[in-house]
Amino acid sequence: MIPQVDSHYCANCLENMPSSEARLKKNRCSSCFDCPSCFHTLSTRATLAQPRPAPEAGGGDAKVENKQPKKMYYLSCFNCRWTSRDVGIPDQPVASGGWPERSAPHAARVSQLLEHYRAVAQQEKQDKLERERKKFAIRGKYITLTDKTGLTGAVARSIAGLGDAGAGAALAGFAPAVPKEDVEGLPEDAFTKEVNLKQITSMPQRLASPEWQPVSVSRLHPLAKLLSVKRSQRCRACDHNLTKPEYNPGSIKFKIELLAYYHVPEVKIISCEMIKPGAKSTLLLKLANPTGHEMALQLLPAAPPPPPPHGETEAATEDKDDSIEKSLDKSLKLDKEPRWPHVEPPAILTRVTPPAVTLTLAPRDDAAEYDDDARHEPSHIILWRKSNKLALRLELTTDPAAVEGSPARTALTVEYSYRNTVPQSITASQNRDHTLYTTVYLDLGTVGSAGL
Amino acid sequence: MAHNIKILPGATVCEDCTLEGDITIGGGTVIHPRVTIIAEGGPIIIAEYCIIEEYSTIIHKKSDKQEDPPKPLFIGAHNVFEVGCRLESPCGHVGESNVFECKCFVGVNVKIGSGCVIGAACHLSAPQTLVDNTVVWGSEHHVREALEKQPSQLLQLDFLSKVMPNYHRLRKPNIHKRQPSSRQSLDSSPKP
Repeated sequence: MIPQVDSHYCANCLENMPSSEARLKKNRCSSCFDCPSCFHTLSTRATLAQPRPAPEAGGGDAKVENKQPKKMYYLSCFNCRWTSRDVGIPDQPVASGGWPERSAPHAARVSQLLEHYRAVAQQEKQDKLERERKKFAIRGKYITLTDKTGLTGAVARSIAGLGDAGAGAALAGFAPAVPKEDVEGLPEDAFTKEVNLKQITSMPQRLASPEWQPVSVSRLHPLAKLLSVKRSQRCRACDHNLTKPEYNPGSIKFKIELLAYYHVPEVKIISCEMIKPGAKSTLLLKLANPTGHEMALQLLPAAPPPPPPHGETEAATEDKDDSIEKSLDKSLKLDKEPRWPHVEPPAILTRVTPPAVTLTLAPRDDAAEYDDDARHEPSHIILWRKSNKLALRLELTTDPAAVEGSPARTALTVEYSYRNTVPQSITASQNRDHTLYTTVYLDLGTVGSAGL
Repeated sequence: MAHNIKILPGATVCEDCTLEGDITIGGGTVIHPRVTIIAEGGPIIIAEYCIIEEYSTIIHKKSDKQEDPPKPLFIGAHNVFEVGCRLESPCGHVGESNVFECKCFVGVNVKIGSGCVIGAACHLSAPQTLVDNTVVWGSEHHVREALEKQPSQLLQLDFLSKVMPNYHRLRKPNIHKRQPSSRQSLDSSPKP
C-alpha cells in the first residue's frame, strides 16, 4: 500500500490549503493554537474589560468617556487551565488572529544556511551539467548547431568564468560556523539551588517548539496548530486507488473505498471456554457475509491455500508477472520499500477441528433487520442463523505442551466463494465467481492452568 | 446524628440532596440536586458563592484523633465542585476560588489553598498541601502553577439561582441574619 498525501487541513478550523501554502506556513495553521503546556487545542475566551482610566485623569470626565466596556479576547486551555495571560501576552481586541508572533533567535542563521545550501546544490547541478556537455563535446565529431551559431548564454558565461552570478554571490557571502573551545561554565549555585519544578518546562514542552526551547514556564507561548493531511492509498502492485477521501475536510466520506471489510466474510468470536493444556474446549464464532451475493463457506485447518485449479493458474500467474514487471520500475523509484512486512505466523498450539460441511451465507440485506424470522436449524454446529449471519460451534483441542499463561491462539482457513461485481473486460466475464482463501488467526486470551 | 442544617438567605439548596450533620451554607451558594454533604466528624461550613454540582460528595470524615470540640471543615467562597467530585477531609480548611473538576477525588490529609484546580478524574490521596494557584491536571497528574486565581463564576451563579426555582423544590433559608446584613442578603437574593 502506498499512502499519498491528498490535502492539508487544520483539524480545528477545518480550513484546507494547498501543499505549497502549507509548506510556506511550516505546516501550521495560522489561526488555531495548541496549548504549550498540555498540547490541547486552545480556545478563545472573551472578557469585558473596562478600559483603565489614565492615572492622572482622576476627574469625572474621564470616567464618562471610558465607560463603554470593550470586549477583549485571550486564549485559554480547558484541560490544564493555561491562559495566554499566564505568560503576559496582552489580550487582543479581535477574536482571531493578531497574536504577537515571536521571531526565532536563530531565524537569520537558519535562512542563511538554507540559502547557502541551495546555492551549493545549484552549483553542483551546474557543474554536472557542464561535465556532461564537455563529454558530449569531446565525443561529438560533427558540428552541432550551437557550434555553428555561436554560444548559448549559459555556456558563454561559464567560459568566461562567471558561473551563475546569484549562486556565486551566495557562496561567497557565507560565513561558516566557528568552533569554540571555552564554553560558559555552570553558575555557582547549579547544584545547590533548589529546583522548582513548576517553573521549569518539561522535555516534551521544550521539544514542541524547537525554535525557542523555552526553559522556564513563563516563556511558553501558544503553538500554532499543526496541520493534518488527508491521505489516499494506492495498491503497491497494480497502482489502483484503494481509498481516496473527499477533498472537503469536513467530510469523512470517501470517493473511493475498496476495503476488505466489504468483501471478506467477517469472523467474530462470540465466546470461548478457558483454554487448558491438553484439553478440549468450545469456541463460538459468528460469521457474516458483507456482500450482496450468496456465499458458500467452508472452514479448513490452517494451511497454505491449495493452488487454484489449472485453467485459472496460468492466466493468473501470467497476469502477476506482467504486473510485477510493470510495477517494478515504480517500486524502484519508491526506494524499494518492503512490500508486506513479513510476519512469522504465531505458534499455534490450539487446533480447531473444522466441520466438514459447506455453509451458505445469505446475501446482506439492509431491510432484513426489520423482519424477525430467525430460522432455527438446530444442529450440532450451527447455533443460529439470521439473515446474513450465522453462529458456529467449534471444538478446540489444545496441545498438552502449551505453557500456562502464554497467549492462546488458534488459526483456521476460511474458504469462501466470491463474486466479482466489478465489470471486467469482456473476455474475463466468464469467471466472475472465485474461490478465495483467508487464514484467520484468533486470539483466545491466555492459556489457563490444567488443574482448573 | 443531630441534623442541624443552617441555610443562609440567598442560598439555593435543592431539596433532593442528602445533608447530614451540622452544616452551614452561606448566601449565594447553589447546591444542585443529588448532592451529598455529610458532617460526621464535625461541622461543615460552606461560605458564599460556591457551586456544588450534581452527584458531588463532601464528607467531613470521622477520625481517631478527634478533637473536642470537633474542628469544622471550612470551605471558602467561590469554590466550584463539578459533577461527581468527592472531597473527604477531616482537616480543616479549603481556600477560596478553587475548582474541583468532574469526578476528581480529594482524600483525607490534603490541604488545599486558594485558586487551585483539581483536574477531571484526578485522584489526590497522599497527604499533601496544595499551595495557592496550583493546577493538577491529566491522567498523570501534572502539576503547574497558574499566575492568577480562577475567574469567579458569578454569571453562572446568577443564572442558576434564577433557573433552579423553576424546576426544583428548594429548601427554605432558615437563618435570618441580624439587621445590617439582612439588607445585603436581599441584594444577593434572586430577582423573580
